[in-house]
Amino acid sequence: MGELVLSGKGMGDRRSDAGQDSAEEVCQYLTFSVGEERLAMSITAVKEIIETPQITRVPMTPEYIRGVINLRGSVVPVVDLGARLGRGVLTLTRRSCIVLVEVRSGSGDGHVLGMLVDEVKNILDISREDIKPPPEFGSEIRTDFIEAMGRVEDVFVIILSMDHVLSIQELAALRRISEEAASSGLDVDP
Amino acid sequence: MNLEDARQAFIGEVAELLDSMEDALLTLEEDPQDSESLNEVFRAMHTIKGTSGVFGYAPVVEFTHAVETLMDQVRSGQRPLTKPLIATLFECRDHTARLVEVIEEQGPDGDEEVQFGEVLREAGESLLQRLGQSGATSPMASAERPADGAADKRLPVSSELWMITLEFGADAFRNGMDPLSFLRYLGSLGDLVHVSTLLRLDPSQEEGFDPESCYLCFGIAFRSDADKQTIAGVFEFADQDCEIRILEPESTHSRYMELLESVAEDEVGCIGELLVQVGALTRRELERALQIQETETSACSMTSCSNLRRRLGEILVEQGSVKSAVVEQAAKTQETVRARRQDESRFIRVDAQRLGHLIDLVGELVTSSAAIRVMVNRAGIDDATEVVDGVDYLVSEIRDSALQLRMVPIEECLSRFRRVVRDASQELGKQIDLVITGGETELDKTVIERLTDPLTHLIRNAVDHGIETPDVRAGRGKPASGTIHINAFHDSGHIVVEIADDGAGLDPARIRAKAEARGLVKPDDSLREDEVLRLIFAPGLSTKEEATNLSGRGVGMDVVRSNIEALRGSVELDSSPGVGTKVTIILPLTLAIIEGFLVGAGEDRFVIPLSQVAECVEMEAADALHRRGRHYINLRGEVLPFIRLAEIFESGGTREAGRRESLVVVRFGHHKMGLVVDSLLGELQTVIKPLGILFERLRGVAGATILGTGDIALILDVAELAAVDQGARSPSGSARATR
Repeated sequence: MGELVLSGKGMGDRRSDAGQDSAEEVCQYLTFSVGEERLAMSITAVKEIIETPQITRVPMTPEYIRGVINLRGSVVPVVDLGARLGRGVLTLTRRSCIVLVEVRSGSGDGHVLGMLVDEVKNILDISREDIKPPPEFGSEIRTDFIEAMGRVEDVFVIILSMDHVLSIQELAALRRISEEAASSGLDVDP
Repeated sequence: MNLEDARQAFIGEVAELLDSMEDALLTLEEDPQDSESLNEVFRAMHTIKGTSGVFGYAPVVEFTHAVETLMDQVRSGQRPLTKPLIATLFECRDHTARLVEVIEEQGPDGDEEVQFGEVLREAGESLLQRLGQSGATSPMASAERPADGAADKRLPVSSELWMITLEFGADAFRNGMDPLSFLRYLGSLGDLVHVSTLLRLDPSQEEGFDPESCYLCFGIAFRSDADKQTIAGVFEFADQDCEIRILEPESTHSRYMELLESVAEDEVGCIGELLVQVGALTRRELERALQIQETETSACSMTSCSNLRRRLGEILVEQGSVKSAVVEQAAKTQETVRARRQDESRFIRVDAQRLGHLIDLVGELVTSSAAIRVMVNRAGIDDATEVVDGVDYLVSEIRDSALQLRMVPIEECLSRFRRVVRDASQELGKQIDLVITGGETELDKTVIERLTDPLTHLIRNAVDHGIETPDVRAGRGKPASGTIHINAFHDSGHIVVEIADDGAGLDPARIRAKAEARGLVKPDDSLREDEVLRLIFAPGLSTKEEATNLSGRGVGMDVVRSNIEALRGSVELDSSPGVGTKVTIILPLTLAIIEGFLVGAGEDRFVIPLSQVAECVEMEAADALHRRGRHYINLRGEVLPFIRLAEIFESGGTREAGRRESLVVVRFGHHKMGLVVDSLLGELQTVIKPLGILFERLRGVAGATILGTGDIALILDVAELAAVDQGARSPSGSARATR
């Protein structure tokens, strides 16, 4: 598990690698897997990566809200990325990790959310010229969740847009819909 | 303390003073003779004047000064305290509040020159005019008239003037004194309004007229802002050859009185020192009086301390140095100081943030100590158990004491409604008595702060919609004046606040009609009466035909409910047409830490607030009934609805047939309900952690807590849980569920 933790040293090394190619603009991306698919996100939003602790389920929430965890004394919600991307709820394994991401709500307040993934791979340097706009169709993932496509050694990785995947407004709004659906469904029920 | 801190303190102090002034005025309205309240009003105005003066807020000083002067006249009985006068005083209080608001708004950047604006200035002036009209400055009460100095009587006696008498000794000229030079010097300190010169010539004088002797006396009316010490300083040089009496202006006199009342306790020494301290007496005057006293004392050989004190006062009055009223006040201050010293040192002002920080730390401590207990149990160290018990006990004591620090009596919040009711009832032409009981009940300060708005709304509702006009009441055979009763009390770990009126009550038919018109219920829905009444908590429902100034825009009761629910409280409603309405608010004592009861349901664990747990019994499946979609159980002959936690929360886990279940009977308001759980895991101290923005709409869960093992358990909101359960079945509930 040790290799999964982002140590400052590791990041520093990578940065100095990038520094050698200072002619190109290089961005760093964290890659991880959900199921068989390899996904990436900009490293700037990542606060830390932790092994999966005990997750407490919160009842009456959509399935992509996996639950809450105790992060050094504060209660942090965890979003199941598999369920969020429509791939079904992830099964916890030895390699499962939670990526803690800071997102902003509409009012501008920062909130820390956890994102459950199957495995954290590594950090990639992708130069700007290797970043292509997302395809307009042909992807199984909602198009607004995709920020761009990054080419790594002739393979394209999907770079997720955290603003959309972990949009507080949307997570809360979806909650309301499901709640209304639930209550109207119950109303019909005698 | 920098200037901004001082300014904040000023604003806070003024707000407090205005509050107490308002209370006092309300008392005066009922009993104009209440001297304590009179003093309170005076004191408030006076202190605000003083502190505003320090900050250089001239308009505030001017305004409060005028009110203060008026109050002083009232206090001394020169002006009767009439109802219209009290009403004007209320407005004066509000005006002062507005002035200070302007100061507050302008913030720390707006230099010392605060712009108050024309409108405010004019409002203030017209108020002052009204104050002035009802009685111009009247002459001093005879009791307060200086008992000496014939010269004084010939001078224009005005409350704004210093009265100075100078009696030069016979040798003044021989010692090279020039009486006029003193007058000229005095003139540099202020305005010599009137100087009368007297000759101390006595025809019976034996030695005859000596042209080298001085027979001059001056009576001087003097207007100046200088203090007594400065004025006396003018004549310091002539002291040996001259009898000087300086009488302070009436307004200064009242200032002395005030100063005497407010002298810091630790500075109160002898009466003489006290008078010198507030400036009523110069040191030289005191020394002279002490000298006289000493000679008299040795003559009469009177040594008793109290006699000594009174005599000093007498001598001072005799000398004409101070007025008897001032001396009396000084003596009073001296006497009451010890009692007050004990009283006041019981309170310390503490920054609310520091308290908050302390309570946060205590919360962490509670969690850590639970973790230690888990560790010790796991490691099986028997020796440590006792120590852990001791720590646990101490932690819970610390927790209770820390939370106690934030507890304030609810009175603070309730008493402001006396004003609300007074103003509102006058506006509507109704007669309403507000009765407050249980004001001493203590509640977390943050809860109180957030309770004010909903309470204000409920009370306005009662005034506006509840209580009828006197003629309507007479027609219904009720007393002309209605009563609103606010009652607060503790009930099993909760605070209950009841707002009851003896007004018209709610009309279920009208509520129903309105709700149907708004589409909240269908015409063919059958609702119990209490369900109909609860509809007024639904958004957008107001039964008053037209909106008034006070309430009735249909945004009211649902806001009240959501405000109360945000405090983890609940609202109940009880009303019968023609008899009155009673709204009951039930609130948790505190928002931070509670005693919890941990239960297991399916794979999940939940915390139920212990204060809501009535009892735990073994579930007897045979007693359970299923009616109209709800579960009931026969509990010792009582029909109790119950919810299976695992079912409503879809907790998973397979329930083996015949496995033992427990029924936790919970209580909320007047209701009882059973929660069926798989296991009872015991009591624990629970630090409530918010679940955060993502779960804002989650109902039935009040928050989360971290267990000693580091795991999280959700804290149940029992009342909401019942609503969620009911919401699934009753139409009134569905209105609530989709708030």
